[in-house]
Amino acid sequence: MDNQTANSIVGFMMVPLGLLGLLLAARAVDVEMEIFGFGLVVFAFLFGFSTIKRVYDHRDAARAAARKEAGHG
Amino acid sequence: MASRGFSHATIERNAFLLIILAILTISIGGLVQIVPLFTIETTVEHVKGVRPYSPLEQAGRDIYVREGCYLCHSQMVRSLRDEVERYGHYSLAAESMYDHPFQWGSKRTGPDLARVGGKYSNDWHYGHLIKPQSLVPESIMPSYRFLAETPLKYDNIAEKLKTLRIVGVPYTDEDVTLAKADLEAQATPGADSDALMKRYPKANLVPGDGHEVTELDALVAYLQVLGTMVDFTDPSAENPQQ
Amino acid sequence: MANVTTGSAPVNYNEEVVRKFIIAAIFWAVVAFAVGCYLAAELTWPELNLGYSFTNFGRLRPVHTSGAIFAFGGSMLFGTSMYVVQRTCQVRLWGGSALANFIFWAFQFFIVMAALSYVMGFSEGREYAEPEWHLDLWLTLIWVLYAIVYIGTIVMRKEPHIYVANWFYLAFILTVAVLHLGNNMAVPVSFFGAKSYSAFAGTQDAMVQWWYGHNAVGFFLTAGFLGMMYYFIPKAANRPVYSYRLSIFHFWSLIFLYIWAGPHHLHYTALPDWTQVLGMTFSIMLWMPSWGGMINGLMTLSGAWDKLRTDPGLRFSVTAVGFYGMSTFEGPVMAIRDVNALSHYTNWTIGHVHSGALGWVAFISFGAIYYLIPVLWKREAMYSVKLISWHYWTATLGIVFYITSMWVAGIMEGLMWRAYDAQGFLQYSFVESVVAVHPFLMIRLFGGLFFLLGALIMVYNVFKTIRGPRSAASMLPNAALAAGE
Repeated sequence: MDNQTANSIVGFMMVPLGLLGLLLAARAVDVEMEIFGFGLVVFAFLFGFSTIKRVYDHRDAARAAARKEAGHG
Repeated sequence: MASRGFSHATIERNAFLLIILAILTISIGGLVQIVPLFTIETTVEHVKGVRPYSPLEQAGRDIYVREGCYLCHSQMVRSLRDEVERYGHYSLAAESMYDHPFQWGSKRTGPDLARVGGKYSNDWHYGHLIKPQSLVPESIMPSYRFLAETPLKYDNIAEKLKTLRIVGVPYTDEDVTLAKADLEAQATPGADSDALMKRYPKANLVPGDGHEVTELDALVAYLQVLGTMVDFTDPSAENPQQ
Repeated sequence: MANVTTGSAPVNYNEEVVRKFIIAAIFWAVVAFAVGCYLAAELTWPELNLGYSFTNFGRLRPVHTSGAIFAFGGSMLFGTSMYVVQRTCQVRLWGGSALANFIFWAFQFFIVMAALSYVMGFSEGREYAEPEWHLDLWLTLIWVLYAIVYIGTIVMRKEPHIYVANWFYLAFILTVAVLHLGNNMAVPVSFFGAKSYSAFAGTQDAMVQWWYGHNAVGFFLTAGFLGMMYYFIPKAANRPVYSYRLSIFHFWSLIFLYIWAGPHHLHYTALPDWTQVLGMTFSIMLWMPSWGGMINGLMTLSGAWDKLRTDPGLRFSVTAVGFYGMSTFEGPVMAIRDVNALSHYTNWTIGHVHSGALGWVAFISFGAIYYLIPVLWKREAMYSVKLISWHYWTATLGIVFYITSMWVAGIMEGLMWRAYDAQGFLQYSFVESVVAVHPFLMIRLFGGLFFLLGALIMVYNVFKTIRGPRSAASMLPNAALAAGE
């Protein structure tokens, strides 16, 4: 399994995680669960987007390296 | 524990063998020490007088647990002469059989509380928890005034008893249905508490102040029952094996 | 870097995640030490509790213990284990960079949520296992992923032989998983609320808690950190581990015996006598494999003792092993029932805990940190070797103040509680013992402050190193890093 497939799987897992957080926060009976739920949402959001960035940064870097090779080759 | 000098290399070159052997090795001690405690008579027997906590007492206990009181106060009188003299009869296993979680504690920054029930008046406890130094000048205990100023949230008290039933505390259906009523009866001065006292003998009525039940009321109700359930003057109460 | 064993292409190690964990560890160390000092101050001057619910001792104490053990200790273990497993297996960390990153951030989220929950008034009421059920589940997820990543790396290793440090890290990961699951069996009152009730009660609960609690020390704070020792001491000293045979013997006997020690926390309680005696006996036997580890670590220095003068980072690690030996002697002694009759519930226990936590756990971590920072950020060396030495002596002074004040306080308390006067009555009321230990609680506070000061010196040194220039070697086109093991 190459790095980017693994990274994408981790990224996609943020969706159910965020939804779980939303559910917990919405139905929370105490403030701690509310904070945990919202924390999960924020976490999933930030981590999901950082994973997308990671995957595309890798693609850009690979493309740039390939271009450099072709230029010198 | 044998040193496997010449064949250990086999283990070191096989991750799954290493993992399996490690898991087996660490499992033995726990199984030997934990499993028998669920079957041996002296740890599972019931002693006369021990009963589940009343709803108000349980609410108070939940406050005791969340505030970390067990970090400074133990609830376990050891079977040592000076300890028995200072605190009362050594603690029996049965006395904490309904304690989810146990709160035996591991440090005495303050005194042991296993038999504090009935030793001080309700007023003393209110005063002490609001400002410990007002009653014990040299005390280093923090103030718990905020408990007196926080109304007790007990809408889910019946759910709490049901959950405790799941983990083995023998609340009856009647206990669960009447949970809220019992709690209010124990915390309201002048309320009819006969039904409460029948199902929860030796429960202590806390004065309250006519306003809503506070977290402090609950905590005092809990503290006042500690160590009082078993009648040590009754020769049939205590199992001599303990 | 050139792969020295196979001579093949350099391995692209995942050092990003290691860097993150080391920085996190340093951050949490300062937080944990600072909260510890505040707690010590509260015990000395109770007005510092301030009357608020979220600043009082009972709610803050788990912030300190979780901070020290899990936030600081845990981050060190995650970071160093991920570093060591890659280097000793000669492969990149398994599972991809996003997964490693997830483990890092998910763990930080766990730490923050746990601390927040304690001060807001949510706790399971079990020492070192205070986080409520939903946080326990979150930690379980993190732990499973960590085990997969770590074991995956070992399975994919290029070096056929699994190095001894990894046996210890593995035992730590596996056992902590078992302990965490066993001790946190609970039923939530509502799936949308934080409150839960433990599955067990009374005596059974006590046994399960201390099976967990002692082995949190034995596997989280000992086996895992022994893994650290087995890599960073030979590396820094540039010597092989003293004895292969001793490693094998002490590894298996340590992980077998440690599990049984739990009941020594419950002497003379309502736990059955037979369980208490087993706990005591196995705790005493445990002294041997512990000292086996100490000997192996110390004797690795033979032929290189002069390095202790010139390399204060190594000095930290070796001193750590010395304190490890001290604590693993004190522990078995305190596990003897008659000694425990005096020591239980007193400040002596606190002294014992902190000689291990500060002397062993923190010091071996500092040694690893001072080794790793230049390597991970590709600097020639730490910004200032002298500052490492300052850190060392400040911290050591702090430890000495801490443990001696706690020994005196603890033994005094224990003796006062059991003292009888000439008429045969108990001589002292409880509160008289509280008054008597006051000066020693103050000395302990100063010990803690010294230790915190040492850590702040480390923060400054690390900051200046990271902001400083890269090493000349790392600037070359085909950058050659320090050779991996």
